Amino acid sequence: MRKTIFTLILAVMANMAMAQEKIILLNEGNWQADNGRISYFENGTVMSNQWFRDMNGYKLGDTPNDIIQVKDNLIAIAINWSNIVQFITPEGRAVAATEDVPNNRKLASDGRYVYISSYGHECGTVDGMKEFTKGYVAKIDINTFKVVAATEVGYEPEGIAYYKGHLFVANTGGYAFQEDHEYETTVSILDAETMTLVRNVDTRQINLYGKMSQSGKYLCINSPGDYYDIQAAAIIFDCDKALQGNDDCFVSLPYAATYNCTTRDGKFLAVGSRYSYYTGEYQFNYITIDPEEVMMSNGSSGVEQSLPGTVLEDIKKISMPYGIYVNPYTGYIYATDAGEFVSGGALYQWSPEGLLLGKHKVYINPAHFLALPPDGHFTGIEDVTSTEQEDGYMYDLHGRRITTPQRAHIYIKNGKKVLK
Amino acid sequence: MIRTSLFKKITLCGILLCIYISHVCAQDADPRSTVTPKELADTLSSVNVYGRRPLATRQALHGKELQALSTTSIADALKYFAGVQIKDYGGLGGLKTVNVRSLGAQHVGIYIDGIRVTNAQNGTVDLGKFSLSTMETVELYNANKLDDCQSASEYASGATVYLRTRRPANDSLSAQLRMASFGTYMAKANMQFARKGWCGFVDIEGLTSAGDYPFRYKSEFEDTVGHRDNSDIKYGRIEGALFKGGFSSHIYYYYSERGCPGGIVRRLSDKYTNVGREWDGDFFTQMSYNWQAGNHRFKVNAKYTNEYLRYCTDYPENQNTAKVNNHYRQEDIYGAACYSWRPWHWMALSASYDIRYSKLNADLKHFDTVHRTDQKQVAALQINWRGMQLAASLLHQHYKDYTQTHTGAADPLDRFTPAISLGYTVKSLTLRAWHKKIFRAPTLNDLYYTQAGNRNLKPEYTKQWNIGAEWHYSSPRWNASIQADGYINKIENRIVCLPLKGTYTWSMMNYGYTYCRGLNATGNVRHNIRDWNFSLLTSLTWQRDLDRTDPDGDIYNKPICYSPTLSYGITGIVAWRRLSLTVSDLHVSERMWSYADPEDFLKPYNNIDIKLSYLHTVAKKTDIGICLEVNDLLDEQYEHIPRYPMPGRNYKLTLSLSL
Repeated sequence: MRKTIFTLILAVMANMAMAQEKIILLNEGNWQADNGRISYFENGTVMSNQWFRDMNGYKLGDTPNDIIQVKDNLIAIAINWSNIVQFITPEGRAVAATEDVPNNRKLASDGRYVYISSYGHECGTVDGMKEFTKGYVAKIDINTFKVVAATEVGYEPEGIAYYKGHLFVANTGGYAFQEDHEYETTVSILDAETMTLVRNVDTRQINLYGKMSQSGKYLCINSPGDYYDIQAAAIIFDCDKALQGNDDCFVSLPYAATYNCTTRDGKFLAVGSRYSYYTGEYQFNYITIDPEEVMMSNGSSGVEQSLPGTVLEDIKKISMPYGIYVNPYTGYIYATDAGEFVSGGALYQWSPEGLLLGKHKVYINPAHFLALPPDGHFTGIEDVTSTEQEDGYMYDLHGRRITTPQRAHIYIKNGKKVLK
Repeated sequence: MIRTSLFKKITLCGILLCIYISHVCAQDADPRSTVTPKELADTLSSVNVYGRRPLATRQALHGKELQALSTTSIADALKYFAGVQIKDYGGLGGLKTVNVRSLGAQHVGIYIDGIRVTNAQNGTVDLGKFSLSTMETVELYNANKLDDCQSASEYASGATVYLRTRRPANDSLSAQLRMASFGTYMAKANMQFARKGWCGFVDIEGLTSAGDYPFRYKSEFEDTVGHRDNSDIKYGRIEGALFKGGFSSHIYYYYSERGCPGGIVRRLSDKYTNVGREWDGDFFTQMSYNWQAGNHRFKVNAKYTNEYLRYCTDYPENQNTAKVNNHYRQEDIYGAACYSWRPWHWMALSASYDIRYSKLNADLKHFDTVHRTDQKQVAALQINWRGMQLAASLLHQHYKDYTQTHTGAADPLDRFTPAISLGYTVKSLTLRAWHKKIFRAPTLNDLYYTQAGNRNLKPEYTKQWNIGAEWHYSSPRWNASIQADGYINKIENRIVCLPLKGTYTWSMMNYGYTYCRGLNATGNVRHNIRDWNFSLLTSLTWQRDLDRTDPDGDIYNKPICYSPTLSYGITGIVAWRRLSLTVSDLHVSERMWSYADPEDFLKPYNNIDIKLSYLHTVAKKTDIGICLEVNDLLDEQYEHIPRYPMPGRNYKLTLSLSL
């Protein structure tokens, strides 16, 4: 009897969960066109393709690059070309923005701090401006929204993950084809508390670029190669082994994992292509990776050339795949199509079994996902208070710092409206 | 998700296929009012079997009218023509290129005295580099000019802009000083002579501008005010020309340093600017000689070009792109021989052979010197029999590249392309129809640029069909002309930079078919009475430019981004003795810049310019002049490319002295 009730409750909750499919999708927009936008998708409908504007009355910025949930009531968005990390509530309201993290890339969090990788060479911290030869990781305190520390890693660090008090940072060296340095091959491990480098793990694959997914202790890292002589690879990385100093902490697979994500049962889905500038030809792959089995078999098994249900066939028809995602709460599968780059992209939704449920029009270059927990999943909601400091600077109504105010305009100073 | 600065150049130049702004036009001035008998004699070479009634679709601006417009560069002058769209990233030093009838900038050939200005590297010519002060005429031909003795390369572009250098008729010395908004100062000097059949000039110009103009973005979602950063320019130009009869020669050097500003995006402070800076050093020397023996005409052309370009983003303020400091050097040697035979006065046959050797050197990674030979031959026929006119040509082009770049050289390109024009003139009315098929070869950047070049590119073809009519009226006091042309253009295998599927990288690709229907019309009236001269010059462009790439795609048959449907221009010039007032209004209708949201459009704008000038004779043969210009009188904030604001209202004051 108890068991039946329990099952019933579970079923009801599952139903509720299904009715509470909530997805925040970042549309990157066009570079330098200041048209990064957020689409908000709920229960099978795109509620808005300009959600941030609707909620806040101003624009998000240029090229939003990553989004993570920091805690129940706080979400962080890395806005690459605007040089800021924008914090919002799950309802979409802006809370604060941390500036002076130029050319920022990807986010990770332990619930207390937000960590962000950057291709830039300087960072505005509480101790003043810090300068670096290579790229760095910045640590943002979410009580003050200030950068409290920044540590140099490799050139052009990209993916970042938090695991057991440590940060795992995939270095790309992606500017190597233009700048005076070579491609990077390492994953940098930092102590998150002290922000010091523990060690660099050499993966022997270059240019660790693109989305990096995490499944418990495992990471899925993409290496696109150099598109000439060096082929793309997907690296499965065991964080525990790496922390133990074990050199066998990763396995390289002969696939591209340009777009990848984690499934509810801890596997990775990956879509990618191996491209050569010599021939101008692609070799596509669509794979499901079981990291446990890959590590155990040293790569000889654990990769299946399939995706759930019709997902593979449907993605093959997409003109320009641009992201793949599984809702960690419900298991629904999503992918985006960037289309022709000047037209709006599309969001595809599949059931957890891989049944195509719908295609929705979103905005330009839809790329980065965040699922919000269904209502029942919220615990200990905290009030978020704005922590705008009284810094004495003048801002316009959109949060831009103004150095030369114009007469008869309204500005914000120390949180109050002033008329110049 | 762009991670390299190279895309600053490539995406904006390549992906944003073409920026369409279209405009007004001012037409054929009455040749009698602007061309002295001496000049007419010098230009006999351009009077062909068709006399003064060209079969080609032609628009022109001459001497006084050219000077009366508020123009400083060739690009400024061209925007008065119907069917022309200027692409401009704003900023005073910004790259300016033209696009004619939506064919794309690389299909527009720019010719100085009949010799093409080339850029093997990227195929586009920055029109900001050429001064109007040494030019007598700026002409625009759709398809090409139809002279009975012209070089093969003059047949090799979809639209041609002819710049004809002024041939001085007397000795004089003149100087000009200009002060303009945004910290702009210019000085210029010209020394010219004409004696014993020889004539020539030396012209020197220098300019510096801070270019820090204010802009404002105001919408429901923002009110952004600021000043443009990194849009300064400094340049110096020195050139000279020497002519005698059928001999003409030109030598030119231009050096500049300029900022390449980025888009205006959300930033909390102005700490990080998108600093890219560019240095150019362009040198060319060219010579042309033509002579006639009975009913045979001959012409030979030669040119040497040396271009230097440096692009640097390695500055501390620049945190957002890769730090590059690249140097490019191009050399180009060109020669042409043309021959025409006129067996009867109503018929001309011609043939020409052109050869060009180009070399591009750059310190890019994974790049090696590229050499290209480009040979063209043309055979052409022209007939003008009892008002019936025919011009037909067949052009053959052969391109071959040599390089050690590790993707290897592209396969040689070998193609024939035809063009045909028909016309009929009765009294002052001419009816015409023409068709032209032409391609542009992939440029060296398209083929070999590191991590973007694609050696497998095919040429980008354009096919044009045009029907038109032209009418003239002339009396001692009145002069009027109307011209209207309807056209259809197809562009196939557009060469664009596109992201590669599933890789996050980009590459040049053949992608895109467009279909364009349009109407260009111009109407001009001139009237003179006693000391007064009145001119009214109008132009209109209506165009539907449609995407025909993918029949299953979302954007099939939708208008091409940046292409306005309607644009027009009206210019009025009133002159009384030596006082002259010009008022012009250029209008461009709204343009979509993306298909993703109906909100993604660029607002229509009107650009009103006023120019007032006065010339005063202080002593015998000594004139002083003063000129005041106001550009964008209404201070309209507009853009050609989203988030690249153009300067608003600005002023220019020019003082000149000539002896």
